[in-house]
Amino acid sequence: MDRRKFFKLTGTYTGGSLLLPSFLHAFSSQNTFSLQEKSVIFIQLNGGNDGLNTFIPFDNPLYYDLRPNIGIAKDDIVGKTKGMGFHPALKGFATMQAAGHLSVVQNVGYPEPNRSHFRSQEIWQTGSASSEYLNEGWIGRYLDAHYNEHHPTGGINLDSIDNLALKGVEPNSITVKDPNRFKIRNTSDENVQLSENPQLDFVRKIATSVVEGSDEIQKALAKAKVEISYPKTGLGKNLEWIGKLIKGNLNSKVYYTSLGSFDTHDNQLTLHRNKLSELNDAVYTLYSDLKQAQLLPYVTIVVFSEFGRRVKDNGKGTDHGTAAPMFIIGGNTKGNIIGNNPNLADLDKGDLKYEIDFRSVYGSILENQLDFDPTKIGIKNPSLKGLF
Amino acid sequence: MNANTLWSLRLGFSNKQSSAIEKLGIKSFVEQSFNTKVDTVLPAFLEDSPKTMEEFKAMRQEIKKADSEAQKKILKKQIKGANELKIWWLSKMQEEEFPLQEKMTCFWHNHFVSTIQKVKANYWIYQHNMILRENAFGNFRDITKKIIQSNAMVRYLDNVDNKKGKLNENLSRELLELFTIGIGNYTEEDIKNGAKALAGLNLGNEKAVYRKALEDNDIITYLGKTGQFKVEEIIDIIFEQKNTPYFLTEKILKWFLYDNPSKELITYYGDYFKKIDFEIKPLLLKIFTEEFTKNNIGNKIKDPLVYTFQLMDELQIKETNPMLIVQFLKQQGMDLFNQPNVKGWIGGNNWMTSQIYLQRNNASDFLSSGQNIISRKKQEMMEDEPMMQRKIQKVKVAYDSNGTNKTIIKELTDRLLFTVEENTQKDMETILKYDFNPKSESADAAVLRLFNYITKLPEFQII
Repeated sequence: MDRRKFFKLTGTYTGGSLLLPSFLHAFSSQNTFSLQEKSVIFIQLNGGNDGLNTFIPFDNPLYYDLRPNIGIAKDDIVGKTKGMGFHPALKGFATMQAAGHLSVVQNVGYPEPNRSHFRSQEIWQTGSASSEYLNEGWIGRYLDAHYNEHHPTGGINLDSIDNLALKGVEPNSITVKDPNRFKIRNTSDENVQLSENPQLDFVRKIATSVVEGSDEIQKALAKAKVEISYPKTGLGKNLEWIGKLIKGNLNSKVYYTSLGSFDTHDNQLTLHRNKLSELNDAVYTLYSDLKQAQLLPYVTIVVFSEFGRRVKDNGKGTDHGTAAPMFIIGGNTKGNIIGNNPNLADLDKGDLKYEIDFRSVYGSILENQLDFDPTKIGIKNPSLKGLF
Repeated sequence: MNANTLWSLRLGFSNKQSSAIEKLGIKSFVEQSFNTKVDTVLPAFLEDSPKTMEEFKAMRQEIKKADSEAQKKILKKQIKGANELKIWWLSKMQEEEFPLQEKMTCFWHNHFVSTIQKVKANYWIYQHNMILRENAFGNFRDITKKIIQSNAMVRYLDNVDNKKGKLNENLSRELLELFTIGIGNYTEEDIKNGAKALAGLNLGNEKAVYRKALEDNDIITYLGKTGQFKVEEIIDIIFEQKNTPYFLTEKILKWFLYDNPSKELITYYGDYFKKIDFEIKPLLLKIFTEEFTKNNIGNKIKDPLVYTFQLMDELQIKETNPMLIVQFLKQQGMDLFNQPNVKGWIGGNNWMTSQIYLQRNNASDFLSSGQNIISRKKQEMMEDEPMMQRKIQKVKVAYDSNGTNKTIIKELTDRLLFTVEENTQKDMETILKYDFNPKSESADAAVLRLFNYITKLPEFQII
């Protein structure tokens, strides 16, 4: 019997009530039993994405006044609604919005914003207040509470380094540096970078061959059909792997990956366009892939950055700022534009004032997409309404 | 990696001695290590253990008479004693100011193997270990003579069954094959004749003794010499052979420096070993001072002891349940007093399998977040050990808080990695970004994450 069907049956018979065996612990904290595991994909834009040039307040003349050099021309903007529209590179985003599958949450940030990449990422990843320091990530805490026992594939992080967001007391997530290693697991030798040092090569071969939970991942990959071709970019490849793992029915709750180089202090127009194109093409392909596989109702994609950028340009670029929009994509989200359009007249040291706390968005995702009570991991902000 | 750290890891088990090496210089550090006083105080947990033949006999009878419940209890006590012995030794390794003596004791421990599992007498294993410690820097010939005549050894290699007319060749064979000259330098006839010389060497009160009735006093020919020989004479003959110095020299080079030492190097130091008549001190001094000047980093996979103690030292972990370390070392394939067979731990590439690598990474995850070295589930499987608190204490990695992200990365890699590649450097600068503030409240935690990343790299497995 398929593992998931088994859970469903067991869940039905016990009514999800008392005396659940420990391996069903995860399900006892959920209200619903579904055939397909619900999951969330996080795409972290590193460096501070310029929100104002991503989802653009083109109707506000202050936008063009404050950004004489890097403002995006009104005619180029796509998917216009209520004075806001997407950067021309984000045609896929506009399409998803029109289909009712993409919500924009405007002016997301937190009180006493920190403009250091390092610290602000830490705040987003731990879900802490600006003055609070936590050692475990918010997703790590969620996975600790969700799984009763160590569950190595609870979260999958496609990156070269571990992500603080996924760090919990138990190692319930794994970081996969190069998903290709799963494909060629038995002939991994060719994939190992050889050095002059036989000892080092030996350990590297071992390191390449082992990832905890790789059996389950292998199984998922074997099941997944590839029906769509992804862009050959770094993010494209990562999202293709995530798509395969979801289609292959890997029971992970969270997938995480990142895209870098959003720190556009200079030469912003070109740099930002390239990065947004990469983002758009990869995300839209994943969306189409999941849609085709009829998995869209089970998956939510979250795109965010550690902060937005200064409202006024610095010449050809922008400096570190504060609040910015978050994008929530999937079959479950209502496809609304939530929150006011950015107020460019009332600034705090040249930066936008946040209106929606990022932890309210986290809360809503936990509650509505993962059936989990956010207060259990210390998120006390009221969950954002209207997202799901 | 800086040289003092490298040599602290090589001559000890962690970075603890790097400043002493820097201050004293390698030569003086090694010489001072030779003067380490041997602690001869009998550990308290051995006070009640049987020691004389009489006492062992009494215990055997007690076990015979006891019901199965009581027998279990005695067995449990035996196992507990074995664990206490391991803990006793581990604390010496960790606490000695000059741990080279313990490192060398452990070398001999893995050369003259006698396992607790087979010998089943904690006091004899302790005695065996004390011979190794007292003679750690002595003479190879002398230590061979002493260890072959230890109760632990005659039982471990079945010489208790070796008697005139019914020879058992085990001890005689390993004396040549694994303890001294190595395979290819003797004949089967030598082994049989050696067994005759050793026949009747049996358990005694403080050390092994010949039992008149079991001895074989035939005239024998051993490695070309003919006469009536006993244990000390045959060992003297072995040490007259031209190839005897090289086997041990190779093992010493492997233990301290190279998984695959070159033939030239073995011959070079081996020749010297013969010249100084198998004295260990001058050999070690020569090897360490000459190798210190070479660029020879990155030739050895860390053994579990160094891996564990280095992590614990870096994380400034002082109080921890030592049973968990015992357990971790066992998982890692380095169970003290319990090598898989008389060959001992092979070392080199054998220290690394996918299982071991995963365990090491898990251990780093646990320790770096201030938890015990093995998971809660594994702890639950340990009998007689109360569940321990998950958080053991606050862990912290030392770094200069007046530095920048780059200086802190450098500080850590100088202590932890034998080589730093471009990609690694890039990853580390993603973990500690350019705007990282080392004075911030979360700085310690961030450096711990960097430390955790570094210690999971393949490069960290090698010194």
